[in-house]
Amino acid sequence: MSEIVMDELFKGVEPMVYASRINVPYHWWAGDTASKFFIALRDEKKILGARCDYCSMTFVPPRKTCPRCGAAEMKWADVAACGTVLAYTVVRRQMAAMPKKTPVVYALIKLDGAETGMLHMIDGVHPEHVKIGMRVRAQFAPERKGHIFDIEYFRPEG
Amino acid sequence: MSEYWGIKVEDIFNTMPERFRPEGAKGVNACFGYDIKGEGKWKLTVANETLKVEKTGDLTGCVSVMLADGETFVGVNTGKVDGVSAFTSGRVTVEGDFSAFGKTAKMFKKYVNGKKEMSTRDYILDMFGTLVSRFQPNAIPGLDAKVCYDIGGNDGGVWTAIIKEGKCELVEGKADRPTTILHVNEAKDWVDVMLGKSDPFTLLSAGRASIEGETQIALKLGEIFAKYKSPIPEGEPEQELIALKKVISVNQRFATGPVMGKFLNALKEKKIYTNKCPKCGRIHLPAREVCAECRVRADEWLEVGPKGQVRYMEYVYYSSPDPLTGETRETPYGMVNILLDGCKGNDTFAHLIRRDQIDKIKGGNNEVAGTRVRPVWNEHRVGSIFDIKYFEIDE
Amino acid sequence: MTHRKKNRNVGIIGIGQTKYSSHREDVNQPEMIHEAVEAALKDAGITMKDVDCVVHGNMELFEMIHQPDLWHTIGTGACGKDCIRITTGGTVGATISCAADNLIASGMYDIVMAIGFEKLQEGHTTGGITNMADALWFRNLQTGALTGSKAYDVIREFGEERAKRVSMKYRIIMDKHAMRNPKAHRAFGLEFEQMDNLIKTSPKLVGDLKLIEMCSQSDGACVVIYACEKKAKQLSKNPVWIRDHITVHREEVFVMFGYDEKYPFPMTHRFAAEQLYKRNGIDSPVEYFDVFEMYDPASWWAVDWIRDFFQLKGDEHLKLVENEEIMIGGKMPINPSGGVIASNPIGATALVRIAEAALQIRGDAGDHQIPTPVSHALASGFGGTMWTVLTMLEKELNW
Repeated sequence: MSEIVMDELFKGVEPMVYASRINVPYHWWAGDTASKFFIALRDEKKILGARCDYCSMTFVPPRKTCPRCGAAEMKWADVAACGTVLAYTVVRRQMAAMPKKTPVVYALIKLDGAETGMLHMIDGVHPEHVKIGMRVRAQFAPERKGHIFDIEYFRPEG
Repeated sequence: MSEYWGIKVEDIFNTMPERFRPEGAKGVNACFGYDIKGEGKWKLTVANETLKVEKTGDLTGCVSVMLADGETFVGVNTGKVDGVSAFTSGRVTVEGDFSAFGKTAKMFKKYVNGKKEMSTRDYILDMFGTLVSRFQPNAIPGLDAKVCYDIGGNDGGVWTAIIKEGKCELVEGKADRPTTILHVNEAKDWVDVMLGKSDPFTLLSAGRASIEGETQIALKLGEIFAKYKSPIPEGEPEQELIALKKVISVNQRFATGPVMGKFLNALKEKKIYTNKCPKCGRIHLPAREVCAECRVRADEWLEVGPKGQVRYMEYVYYSSPDPLTGETRETPYGMVNILLDGCKGNDTFAHLIRRDQIDKIKGGNNEVAGTRVRPVWNEHRVGSIFDIKYFEIDE
Repeated sequence: MTHRKKNRNVGIIGIGQTKYSSHREDVNQPEMIHEAVEAALKDAGITMKDVDCVVHGNMELFEMIHQPDLWHTIGTGACGKDCIRITTGGTVGATISCAADNLIASGMYDIVMAIGFEKLQEGHTTGGITNMADALWFRNLQTGALTGSKAYDVIREFGEERAKRVSMKYRIIMDKHAMRNPKAHRAFGLEFEQMDNLIKTSPKLVGDLKLIEMCSQSDGACVVIYACEKKAKQLSKNPVWIRDHITVHREEVFVMFGYDEKYPFPMTHRFAAEQLYKRNGIDSPVEYFDVFEMYDPASWWAVDWIRDFFQLKGDEHLKLVENEEIMIGGKMPINPSGGVIASNPIGATALVRIAEAALQIRGDAGDHQIPTPVSHALASGFGGTMWTVLTMLEKELNW
């Protein structure tokens, strides 16, 4: 059927836009492993990792089973609240889902004692001065709720 | 008065006044009855955010009556029995207004066992009292064994669990020729093991316990029986589990396209339009660009209705929150499929019926006509399904 | 409809299921999936290294995690592998099985792992289902998957008393089956003596659909591993062969309630079964199949659908239920697992049907194994408002 026939067929018919909405509650369970991580952030201002001895790797956030080899025997490991910036990006356009006012610096941070980078934000420094390899330290939120934002952000060390 | 998990049925009722949450009873003015088999009847009167509980033989005037046996009632109130399962399987039933009964759920704080402490003897009795219910027949399929527990000390005793053909039975004393005997010198030590405060290997290596007969079975008791849970909630701190809760609210805008646009726009003029398949004659409600069966454009427009006859009604007793608004419709309500005047076949017009008329509606078919209905239009019409408020009987 | 023969045969070599339950707060989504992945790999005697491609399925709106296959890689082990995500509603579990079968039959991969999962506790099932309906019209009226229309139909055709008793009898039989399946979510221990009482007391949801007759909302995951004929024979001593599968769609049918006999309304279940049997030369499906794992969202639907799936006439389908022929040990056992009424983690549900049918053929179903030999099995998938996937499984490669 060609375009021309369609045009004739719908001559004088007004398309419209129909406004709708969905409004639905969700709750996602962290599981026992990640719960322990969040509780340690909240109650002890401590960052926990999980270590796989087969892979000789410590994962932050911790995983119940090794994401590399699938082993179930993970050990708890304390990692430092400070680490090194592996990569970063500066976001300048404000989006609804962003917890802070732009510019926001998102960074992958490898904490001392961990083998993996953890995604978080860097603040307390001008975005232009953030560098790969920079040392940063966790700034814990004064009020903590068992959430990843119990670490408010990472700031330059020293 | 029997006890279940150390709690009497009357304990639940007697603590209701102190567990009452006035904020959960806002707007509720009604009597609720409870008929607990072999235990008696209780009546709760809720008015102006106050509560009266009485044990009475007379449950007249109650909007709903809950029926259950004592064990189930105590179990549900203390979290020992899953409320939904008990209800679904018919162990708990409700007579009268079911949705009114639902309101009692918000009125009370959870029942916490009044006993602040349990003695070693209490624990030992509870552990063996719950042993059969904790049996897991699939842990070791085909297990045939007699496991004798010889628990020493003043608080101890001797019990034997007889496991055969996927079933477990508990007898007091030592059964004939047990497969395994577990000797524990002091009852207190066994309570600590069961509560997870110490482990059995410490007891065994310290000589405070010993195994006679087949060791393997004794070592697998943790699999054969589910973990014992203390009836005192704070007795055993379980790991806190974290959940992230969010209400996701997204505004959406859907282009109607010309066909649905024409259909919706017509509703503003109190007209119901449809289009007809030139091949099979199917009449679409709402209008559709093509006939899904013949795959040809349905290009002939007709005006139908707005009156018609009901062919089918969904009599809805239970409704979950509407994901579009987050609100729950009042029940019962009726959703009707109407064969509008000028239509034929299977395609009907779906809408709601006036709530106070749902019991008068009769469905129809090609031999028997259903109830005649007419639309009640909204004064403010925007080109939506709710330009019609609902349908009502056309008398 | 052109349908060609497979390029090569495909067999099931591994099956893994979690226990199905109303809540799994102790694990997050990838952790729950991992349990079933590990079980399936162990069952197949292979490691993740042997798997060429992962097919992942669930209903994203139910948990509102978009592209869940990415997050789930932590649990699925799909890191660095081909991974295909499929979402087709209630049928998703059956569709991922069809995809895995086709991917191997085509020669693209030798070993494919199909993963179906759902954590219904985390989301809002009604929200997901309502969003499926036509956004411009019916979505505004509909809330969720409940309907009394099937009960209305069966009562209309066979009278109230007989219809209600058949529906409840089916429900109790499913519970008796579920009691024998340790993985089942709901197993109450119902007895036939309770039938009249349950008909009277079980709360009504919509029309004559009662609470106890409706399926549960469950959490759980199911994993099935498929292999080409050569590898299946190498790796498994008892592979279960996928003989054929069929998918039939139609447009949404929320408004098709005219009850006008002059306008027959073809149902996808009957249509799909007809096509499948015709092209496989099966004249009497009730005689041919040894077990049927049916996607039965409610007992009313189940009772009615038996007639469609087995091409039965009159009240033959009711008699199968009334005479307990659908029970384990009966002539045509249906859902020895307890079915969907017992456990319904939606994205896994239709795959569980295939997994359970395969376990029956292998003789590995444990307590709910059918006592007589099982050579031919049928599994169905259903999605709302009305479409069908059917899968035929065989013990021998001799058709």
